[in-house]
Amino acid sequence: MAHAEGRNLGLVEAEDGAGRQSFVERHRQLLLGCLAVALFFAAWQAVFLVVPFNPLFISKPSLIAKALLDLIASGQLLDDLRVSAIPFFYGFTAAIVVGVAVGIVMGWRARVGYALDPLMTALYASPLVALAPLLVVFFGVGVAGKAIIIFSLAVFPFVFNAYAGVRAVDPLLINVVRSLGGSEMNLYLKVILPSTLPYIVAGARLAVGRALVGVLVAEFFAASEGIGYAIARFGDLYALDRMFACILTVMVIAVALTEAVRWAERAAFPWRSGQ
Amino acid sequence: MQAYIEGRNINLTFRPPNRGPVRALRGFDIDIGEGEFLSIVGPSGCGKSTFLNVLLGLLRPDSGELTMRGRRIAGPGSDRAMVFQEFGLLPWRTVQNNVELGLELKGVAAVARRKISARLIEMVGLIGFETHYPHELSGGMKQRVGLARALATDPDVLLMDEPFAALDAQTRDLMQVELLHIWQAARKTVLFVTHQIDEAIYLSDRIMVMTKRPGRAKKIFAVDLPRPRDYEMRVTPRFNDLKLEIWHTLKDEISV
Amino acid sequence: MSETGAIKANIAIAAEEAGAPSTNPWRRWEASMLGAGSIALLLLAWELVPYVFTISPGTKLFFTTPSQIAGTLWKMFATGTIWAPLGVSASGFALGLGLAIVVGLPLGVLLGRWRTLNAMADPFITAFNATPRLVFLPLVLLWFGLGLWSKVIIVFIGALFPILINTYEGVRNADKTLINVVRSFGAGEWAVARLVVLPNSLPYVVAGLRLGIGRAVLGVVVAEFFGSEEGLGVLMVQASGRYQVDVVFAGLIIFATLSLLMTGLVKLLEDRLSRWRPQRTAD
Repeated sequence: MAHAEGRNLGLVEAEDGAGRQSFVERHRQLLLGCLAVALFFAAWQAVFLVVPFNPLFISKPSLIAKALLDLIASGQLLDDLRVSAIPFFYGFTAAIVVGVAVGIVMGWRARVGYALDPLMTALYASPLVALAPLLVVFFGVGVAGKAIIIFSLAVFPFVFNAYAGVRAVDPLLINVVRSLGGSEMNLYLKVILPSTLPYIVAGARLAVGRALVGVLVAEFFAASEGIGYAIARFGDLYALDRMFACILTVMVIAVALTEAVRWAERAAFPWRSGQ
Repeated sequence: MQAYIEGRNINLTFRPPNRGPVRALRGFDIDIGEGEFLSIVGPSGCGKSTFLNVLLGLLRPDSGELTMRGRRIAGPGSDRAMVFQEFGLLPWRTVQNNVELGLELKGVAAVARRKISARLIEMVGLIGFETHYPHELSGGMKQRVGLARALATDPDVLLMDEPFAALDAQTRDLMQVELLHIWQAARKTVLFVTHQIDEAIYLSDRIMVMTKRPGRAKKIFAVDLPRPRDYEMRVTPRFNDLKLEIWHTLKDEISV
Repeated sequence: MSETGAIKANIAIAAEEAGAPSTNPWRRWEASMLGAGSIALLLLAWELVPYVFTISPGTKLFFTTPSQIAGTLWKMFATGTIWAPLGVSASGFALGLGLAIVVGLPLGVLLGRWRTLNAMADPFITAFNATPRLVFLPLVLLWFGLGLWSKVIIVFIGALFPILINTYEGVRNADKTLINVVRSFGAGEWAVARLVVLPNSLPYVVAGLRLGIGRAVLGVVVAEFFGSEEGLGVLMVQASGRYQVDVVFAGLIIFATLSLLMTGLVKLLEDRLSRWRPQRTAD
């Protein structure tokens, strides 16, 4: 265990090595992570040298890579992604607009907050995904149907984070701006909005995950195109290499979206030391 | 003749990850007599707290000798106890259980622990607060708990790392008076780190002024004010002369 | 009320929540009255829709009223038809969540204490946590077939990460000063873990459990939608196919109630374990 390294650990981080630190030491965290990922794929590939390979049950990295290249070359993967991305965009945008508006009104108007809080909490806590089959039957699995499912899942993080953000505005800052002769407009632009924005972006991080769930649920159900449909169909066809290629694509997109929001959080709000 | 606590040529360098090494102590010497109240003042980051942690046994110096009663300090021991600047109370323990922490780790039985903690809680004036959690106490009360906890194991040496820095001025004055009472009654050796020259003069037998980092002793002042000391002593000419003298020694080491 | 007035009101409310007693009895009950009132109003409006508007036959297929839903719920419990599917769902839920706890807790502690392992596991945890676990459903179905074990696995991978990550954060965030305090009294590694690391991480662990329960319920729902032959989720999918909208809503209400009930219980536990904390922290 790392703690055996030295009794001084409690006071200074680690006592490894002396003098100036090399590239390896400075980026130890990152390098170990890359190493682990490389090892994982290598082991996955190598294990079939020992274990018999059954392509109906599992795939291996070399085959998955080839399938991924094929899917990209044929344009199929991009088509599916585009089909999924359009309703994602509409649903998510609507969730931002509606969610932030509702949340801010709930925070500004105390009575609106009182009135809507329990209802919103109940809706947020219930597994709304359970309504997906109904929504699919009602709206179909076109752009509108998917967008509505995505919206209904992604809207609540925005509502609650905007609500919390407005309520967390420091009253002292309001008094400061007022005492300096600031108008109502100044108050919104210089205090309330900057205070609330970080909460809204943090909400976006949660909403991304829920929106992706919405895309997949809708497409698993009854779609005939889209990345979720592709995964389900390749599963039905026992085309595991292509299925894994699509799953990895979704994972990469999910990580990219989440990290993009995180990056935006750090870049846009440098005064917040991260939470 | 060897001093009660004796440090010779102590060197210590921190090597934090992702940053260059920091020399905290270089050629640090110190002598502390038994029962003495010694204060260390110095600029921020000069290594005074580092030395306390070395003496406590939490940090091991790279080189140098540090002995207590002629024996080398090799790790924490119940002959030394620390009062921490930010109190360091376990937030999930009540006042009583915080005071008993050291006794518990020494393996003292519950009944004996209760007796000792009850006596110390009385001594620091916290009767009635035994079952309170730290967050329910004021800063001054928290540090009384910290003091009681340090005294509970009956150490010979009390190490105090800017113990009153987080308190307001009035509370600090009161705590100083109480600390002197306790010290005179219990006759511990005290090593007291502070930023405040007033505080150091009022409390100490001797005051060590440290250089900026890497820290070592710059000059040692003997405080020849009679004991017991009282608050009025702070406005006497002798007190102010000493304060000025220490200030002049210190100010060259401070860079803004 | 002007908008700044509302903010002032909110500040006053915050002060009230902080313990300042209110003199006006209406103010004390205002929040709960408005909350309950808005829900009641919504239900009433919904109930009255068929009396006010004429609904086309096509839409009628998809329409239900709160009273119908309540009637369906009552029938489900009165006739006992609900117990069998509910039991199936519950067993999948319990097994999956149990497995997530058994794996997540020790792994979280290990990652919190062992930096090298943590650095190596980090990309995997980040990737799995960012990805909706639903994406693995077709694969899980392929490996485990329709039925209980697919469901258990989906619930497991859903609930694992909140528990794992919270445990890890709790272990890692143990206050360095407190560790020094305990060490200064001669405590060894084990005593440090018992006296500082464990109590510090407990509230995190319970919060992770609370999140994990929510994810587990979600897991049961989606797993049953696509990969099961019995259970409450299956009941709901079949009902949507037959346009029994009241049954779908009844199922949703049962899932929501169970989810709220369980998270509520854990919240109680959380508050009990956090008595030493200055105030409850929002999640």
